[in-house]
Amino acid sequence: MLGILIYSATLVTQAATLALFSLGLNLQWGMAGLVNFGHVAFMALGAYTTVLLTLGGVAWYLAALLGAGAAALLGLLIGLSTLRLREDYLGIVTIGVAELLRLLLKNERPLGWLTRGDFGIQSFPKPLWPNPQGNPLFGWLPPNQYPWVLMVVVLVVLAGTLVLLQRLSRSPWGRVLRAIREDEAVATALGKNVFAFKLQAFVLGGAIGGLSGAFYAWYLQAVYPSNFLPEVTFQAWMIVAIGGAGNHWGVLAGAALFQLYNSLPRFLPDIAPGQTEAIQVMLIGLTLIFVMVWRPQGLLGKKAELLLHR
Amino acid sequence: MDWVTALLQAGIDGVSFGAVLALGAIGLTLGYGILRLANFAHGDLLTVGAYLTLAFQAGLQWPLPLAMAGGALGTMLLTLTCDALLWAPLRSRRASPTSLMIASIGLALVLRNGVILIWGVSPQRYNLPVSPAIALGAGLQITASRLWALGIALGAVVLVSLLLQQTKIGRAMRAVADSPELARVTGVPVGLVTAITWLVTGGLAALSGEMLGLITTMRPNMGWLLILPIFAATILGGIGNPYGAIAGALLVGVAQEVATVCPASLGSLTQYCLSTDYKLGVGLLIMVLVLLLRPQGLFRGTRA
Repeated sequence: MLGILIYSATLVTQAATLALFSLGLNLQWGMAGLVNFGHVAFMALGAYTTVLLTLGGVAWYLAALLGAGAAALLGLLIGLSTLRLREDYLGIVTIGVAELLRLLLKNERPLGWLTRGDFGIQSFPKPLWPNPQGNPLFGWLPPNQYPWVLMVVVLVVLAGTLVLLQRLSRSPWGRVLRAIREDEAVATALGKNVFAFKLQAFVLGGAIGGLSGAFYAWYLQAVYPSNFLPEVTFQAWMIVAIGGAGNHWGVLAGAALFQLYNSLPRFLPDIAPGQTEAIQVMLIGLTLIFVMVWRPQGLLGKKAELLLHR
Repeated sequence: MDWVTALLQAGIDGVSFGAVLALGAIGLTLGYGILRLANFAHGDLLTVGAYLTLAFQAGLQWPLPLAMAGGALGTMLLTLTCDALLWAPLRSRRASPTSLMIASIGLALVLRNGVILIWGVSPQRYNLPVSPAIALGAGLQITASRLWALGIALGAVVLVSLLLQQTKIGRAMRAVADSPELARVTGVPVGLVTAITWLVTGGLAALSGEMLGLITTMRPNMGWLLILPIFAATILGGIGNPYGAIAGALLVGVAQEVATVCPASLGSLTQYCLSTDYKLGVGLLIMVLVLLLRPQGLFRGTRA
C-alpha cells in the first residue's frame, strides 16, 4: 500500500516536471508563436549543469538556478542568430541545436571526464539531501520516503512559475506577445520592437525549460544523453496542444492527462517489445495533426484566444 | 602520405553519400518552394520507401529493380494520400507555414512509428550478397552498391531536370514556386502542379531511402536522422532551387566525411580527431553557419 503511495508521489513529480517543461514551451509557442522543436536542449543543458555543479559542491537551489541561466544563455544565442530570419528557420535550427547538444553530451571527447558520454552520471546530491549515502532532511526521514520531499519542492517551484507566468500574460508585455503571435505587422506598426519581445519570450521560456531539467535529473536519479531524445520535445508539444495556446492552466491539465496516458501501458499487457510505445508516440503525432487541422486553439483552449485562424 | 589517400577516400564516400542526400533534398526543396511546406515528415518518406522495397524484395521475393520501383510507387501513393487527407484541408483554410510545419512533425511521428509497428525496431538488410569493393587505384576503393547509388542518383537528377526545364508542367511548377498567386491568375493548373510535385517528391524520397538501404542497414529512424542534413542541403542551395539542393547535398556529404578523417600517421594527435559520431553534427554546423552568414542560401532560391 505504502509502495503505491510513494509511486504516486513519483508520478506527480513526473507530471509536475513535464508541466514546468511545457510551460516554457507555452510561453514561446503558445504566447509568442515561436516554433521551438528543440525545447529538450534547454532541459538537457539545465539537467547537466545542475548535476555537475552540485557534484562540485554548489547548493542545489543555486545549481538549478545556474542551470536555468545556462539554458537562458543558449536561448539568447539561438534567438539572436535566428529570430530575425524567416519563422520556419527557427524550427529547423532549434531541432538541429538540440541534436547537436545531445551528440556533444554523448561523444564529448577528448574531455571525457565531464559528461561521461553514454555512461551517464549517477548518484549526485538532490534537494534537501546533500549526501546521497545519508538520510535526507538532516537525518530524520528514511531515504525510501524521499519522493515526497522532491514532490513538494517541484510543486512549490511549479506554483511559483505559474503565478509569474499568469502575471506576465496579463501584463502589457503579455498582450504585446499575443499581438505578435496573431499579426506581427500590426505589432510593428504600433511601434513595438517585435524582435526584442520575441527574444525575451524565447530566453525566458528556455530558462523555464532549463529549470525543469534539474527536476528531471533529480527524479530520474541519473542522467544519460538518451534521456534527451527529440521525442521529449514532442511530449511538451502534445501537452501544449491539449492545453491550448497561451493557456497556462490548460498546460497543467494537459500534463496531468498526458501523465495518465503515459503510465497507462504499464497496466496493459505488452503486445511485442516496443510496440505499445510505438502506438503511444503515434497517438502523439495524431494529436498534433488533429489540433493543427481541426482545433488550432487546442483541445481545451478557447476559440476567442486566437483572433485569426491559423 | 596516408592522409592524402584518407582524404580522397573520404571525398569518394562523401560524394556517394551526398548523392543519396541530394535525392532527398530535391524533393524537400520542391515541396518547400512550390507548396510552402517545410516538411519534417520528408525523412520518414525515405524510410517508408526503403521498407516497402524490403517487403517486396525479401518478403515477396521480387527481383531488386522491380521491388525498388514498387517501393517508389507505394511512396508516391502515400504522398498523394497524405495530401488529400492532411495538406489539402490545411491549404484550403490558409494555414500558416508554422501550422503546416507542426502538422508535418505529427505526420513524421505517425509514419516512423507505423514502420516500427509493422517491421519492428531491429536493423534489417535487403536479401543481397555482400557488395564487392572496386579498386580505383592508388589505394582508393568504392563498393559496387555505392557506385550503383551514385549512378541511379545521377539518372534521377537528369530526369528531374528534363521534367523541370523541357516540359510544360515543369515550367508550371517553376512558375508556382516563383509566385503562386501570379501562376494561378495566369491559368497555371495549380492542382495538377501540386499532384506532380508530390509524385516527384515521393518517388525521389523513396529512391533515396532505397539507396541508403543498399549502402547501410535499415532502421526505422534512418530517414528521421537524415532530415536535418537534408534541410541543411536545402537551405544551403536556396529554398526551391533543386540544382542548389544537389550542390548543397554534395557539399554536406563531402564535408561530413572529410571532417571526420583520422589517419593513423597523426600519431598522438588522433585523440583530437572528430569522432565519426559527429558526422551528423558537421552537417548541422554548416547549416547554422549558413543561416548566420548567408540565410538566403549559397544559390538563388525562389523566395527571399
